[in-house]
Amino acid sequence: MDDIRKKAKELLENKTVQVVIGYGKGSGEEARAIFVRDAAKTDQLIFDETCLQNLAVYILKHEVKHLGKIAIVATSSVLRSIMILASEQQLKDGDLVVLGITSDGKYIDLPNFKAIEDYLATLNVSITDKEKELLKMIDAMTMEERWAWWQNEFSKCFKCYACRSACPMCYCPKCTTDSNQPQWIPVASHQLGNMEWHLMRAMHLAGRCINCGECAKACPMDIPLNLLTYKMIDEMNANFGVTVGMKPDAVFALSTFKNEDKENFIR
Amino acid sequence: MARIGVFICHCGENISATVDCAKVAAVASNFPGVAYSVDYKYMCSDPGQRMIIDAIKEKKLDGIVVGSCSPRMHEPTFRRATAEGGLNPFLCEMANLREHCSWVHEKGDVTTAKAIDLVRTLVEKVKRNTPLLPIKVPVTKTALVIGGGVAGIQAALDIANTGHKVVMVERDPSIGGHMSQLSETFPTLDCSQCILTPRMVEVAQHPNITLYTYAEVESLDGFVGNFKVKIRKKAKSINEKDCTGCGLCCTKCPTKKIPSEFEQGLGFRSAIYVPFPQAVPNKPVIDKENCTYYTKGKCRVCEKVCPTKAIRFDQEDEILEIEIGAIVICTGFNILKTSFFPEYGYGVYKDVIDGLQFERLASASGPTLGEIRRPSDGKIPQKIVFIACAGSRDPAKGIEYCSKICCMYTAKHAMLYKHKVHEGKAYIFYMDIRAGGKMYEEFVRRAIVEDEAQYIRGRVSKVYEKNGKLIVVGADTLLGAMPVEIEADMVVLATAGIASEGAESLAQKLHVSYDAYKFFAEAHPKLKPVETNTAGIFLAGACQAPKDIPESVSAASGAAVKVAALFSNDELTRDPMVAFVNRTAPPVFSTCVGCFLCQPVCPYQAIEKEEIKDRQGKTIKTVARINPGLCQGCGTCVALCRNKAIDILGYTNEQVYTEVVALLNEY
Amino acid sequence: MSEKFEPKVVAFVCNWCTYAGADLTGTSRIKYAPNVKIIRFPCTGRIDFMLLMKAFANGADGIIVSGCHPNDCHYSTGNFHARRRWMVFKSMLEFMGVDTRRIVFSWVSAAEGAKWAQLVNTSVEEFRKLGSYDAYKQVAKLNIEKEVFNG
Repeated sequence: MDDIRKKAKELLENKTVQVVIGYGKGSGEEARAIFVRDAAKTDQLIFDETCLQNLAVYILKHEVKHLGKIAIVATSSVLRSIMILASEQQLKDGDLVVLGITSDGKYIDLPNFKAIEDYLATLNVSITDKEKELLKMIDAMTMEERWAWWQNEFSKCFKCYACRSACPMCYCPKCTTDSNQPQWIPVASHQLGNMEWHLMRAMHLAGRCINCGECAKACPMDIPLNLLTYKMIDEMNANFGVTVGMKPDAVFALSTFKNEDKENFIR
Repeated sequence: MARIGVFICHCGENISATVDCAKVAAVASNFPGVAYSVDYKYMCSDPGQRMIIDAIKEKKLDGIVVGSCSPRMHEPTFRRATAEGGLNPFLCEMANLREHCSWVHEKGDVTTAKAIDLVRTLVEKVKRNTPLLPIKVPVTKTALVIGGGVAGIQAALDIANTGHKVVMVERDPSIGGHMSQLSETFPTLDCSQCILTPRMVEVAQHPNITLYTYAEVESLDGFVGNFKVKIRKKAKSINEKDCTGCGLCCTKCPTKKIPSEFEQGLGFRSAIYVPFPQAVPNKPVIDKENCTYYTKGKCRVCEKVCPTKAIRFDQEDEILEIEIGAIVICTGFNILKTSFFPEYGYGVYKDVIDGLQFERLASASGPTLGEIRRPSDGKIPQKIVFIACAGSRDPAKGIEYCSKICCMYTAKHAMLYKHKVHEGKAYIFYMDIRAGGKMYEEFVRRAIVEDEAQYIRGRVSKVYEKNGKLIVVGADTLLGAMPVEIEADMVVLATAGIASEGAESLAQKLHVSYDAYKFFAEAHPKLKPVETNTAGIFLAGACQAPKDIPESVSAASGAAVKVAALFSNDELTRDPMVAFVNRTAPPVFSTCVGCFLCQPVCPYQAIEKEEIKDRQGKTIKTVARINPGLCQGCGTCVALCRNKAIDILGYTNEQVYTEVVALLNEY
Repeated sequence: MSEKFEPKVVAFVCNWCTYAGADLTGTSRIKYAPNVKIIRFPCTGRIDFMLLMKAFANGADGIIVSGCHPNDCHYSTGNFHARRRWMVFKSMLEFMGVDTRRIVFSWVSAAEGAKWAQLVNTSVEEFRKLGSYDAYKQVAKLNIEKEVFNG
């Protein structure tokens, strides 16, 4: 951790960056994101097991971009998000300084996208057994049970869009749900509107979600939204052999196709 | 409030027989925004169109819905009428009440109700239509002719003679195609080479024609008037500029026993070869698979003997990129070969040959110099059996169609045989004699009467060898299926004409349709026989279906006229139904986030990056832009775009969304 | 309700293959169930998955989506992209408990007029057996009998 603080201090002092995004002590049990702009304050940066938030969500936020060039404390989730943002042309190599950090708090020097790519290649990023269990649980239900289960979950939603705000991939300044010609997603938080919103959100993250789980964590109603996107990760992998967020120049799985793509339902 | 006009057509009785047209019009007149609604016997007729034109003016209409036949039939007609009435033609939509309703459902309330639903849907759509202006695109006045057989030659010369440039691509080392292999041609028996070779030379020498032999189309991009083609020029291993075509290399090449493709395996060629003496261009290529240098690393005799040092062993395939405006596909056909006919012993008995092989035997420049000698021992056959419909019209063989040319060439073969072997006897087993064509029936008669060809109506069940003879076992169905057995010296199978090898993959590269037999599909079997469904791509010759020479040539001239007509315009008018990325006021400029995930989706490379700059020239935002000249309007990018920054004219999000809602909800 | 239930079916088809194929069904005078109403799209690649949801939300009991066979796309690749999206979309819907038996995906070429009729008839029969899609209609708060459309 000291390495990171030192590095952050150095970057701010020599004005390589204007802000360092990292974790600081929150008011409760958990850490929170802090934006350090003063070299003297870099000792506020912490890293422990509560530092789980995917900080990449801040990279494209207007308010943050406004501060100048950023350095970011990057867990594997952040790194994978950066890879997707790069492949979606939102970031160029060198746009930000990456302060890589292992899950046990060790600093890793990741000077460029290539280094990030190489580092990620050494990690196991497949979805965990626990997540697989959850998917299995839902898959084991009958169609009617699944419908009822999800409708019950969606009925809690009141469309605060915290899931959207917490997601590093939901960076569109104008979301489809904000468009009203036509009104794709009903504004009101009723059953249909809630379901359509969550369906659309999950579809828009298919092939882009890296499973950081921020959406579910952000949900004030504890809707397990990440299950929808887990499912997509599973599908992408099974159908197209894709693991997203591993390369800065990966082709989006739904922007391409193979002649031999296999399905069993088209008549 | 919109002022929509609804025009319901009876189509004689085609619609009104099952749909209550008056009721549809009456119900539609109560739809919100419908200012005028009427039904009429024939909307597409002059008075029908006049009704639309007049109503637009009199009722001040701002949108038209015609409930009639398929828009694929009459959309242009009614859009023209709409324009004549003074409205933008794209403010007209058609509800398909005939093909999709009256013709496919029984008479009754349900069918009428469906017609009303369809009209309502289109009324709601047209309310959201906007005036569109046609897109003008320039035309590259160069044509690509694929295939250098007789059809390709004719098409290339006809186009070149109208003053336009032509690029001809031929897969083989020489142009000429199958026609150059033929001995004489029906029904006039003029020598094939004599009439074809001058035209081959003309192609090579024509100032407007660029010829690439030993070359194939690699890929095609773009659209009518603006295609980009990649051509793979296979390495010939010679420098064509230096080569004089003296032929010394071919004579000295030590590898001489390679079955010649041109001679249909009845003769041999060397590893460095010119396929036939009159080849155009008359310059050799090295067959890398059989050349000792390429296979074993030693030899280079040709290099040593070449007086102009034209041999280039290190030559590599070259990819050329050429801009063209139109394409004529003339890739021709092939004939069935191989072990397709085990019952006839083809491929087992040397003296069972196919029609093309017989052509080579009969050809004065062929392996026997025109003497009919059988391949096994070179003896002159005294009895010869021709079997027509070998494979054709035979569902069991998977070919249900008639190969069309075999009846005629078999008669010709019998004739040629008799002319060369006066004492010989020709038998022809046939199913029917199909001799439709100018002088064709007379030709067949001549074969029977003058040249004593004996026609036996019936199928051959078996051919087997016995004591150096081929025993042909068949039945004569005109004699009550009486068994027939002929001891023949040689058997000639008129095997089915099939699609040229690689036709399917070429069709896919060019994005044109093909039929179940891999023949290229015309846009309309009667009225658009030389067009494909892809604008700017035409067909000629036997790539479409088996055709004889006159037919191939006329199709080629037809296709050439289509190309010339296209090239008579400096600009083409294109359908304005293209996709676009929205633009909004600053500071947003566009809701496009510039993720460019849409870019690889576009089959036409129409999606570009546009940098939005401030007054100082600093880039504020990079967003997608769709080039309207390249976009073909598939809309694949539209459905991909996460936040609906892309939309497509004619099928906008608002329009299609409304259609779904309107189709399912009554007012 | 003594009358047989008639499902409402929307067909999303591409202009070049299935729309033309359905035209051929008409030209060939092959009869099929009138429950199906076609919406024309330039290509299956244009068909936004949200539109299918809108069809259900507006009371469709079944949906047919059809375009050109692989390699036959007028735009050469639209149907391949569509196929990938359908694969993902279908599994998403299944995961959420949407009744995907009510969405029939198909390739019908311009030459397959008979196939179109057969596809419609078998699909409508299947939808009829499944009955009204009440689960979805309840969520969409659709009065199953009638809804006022304020177009």
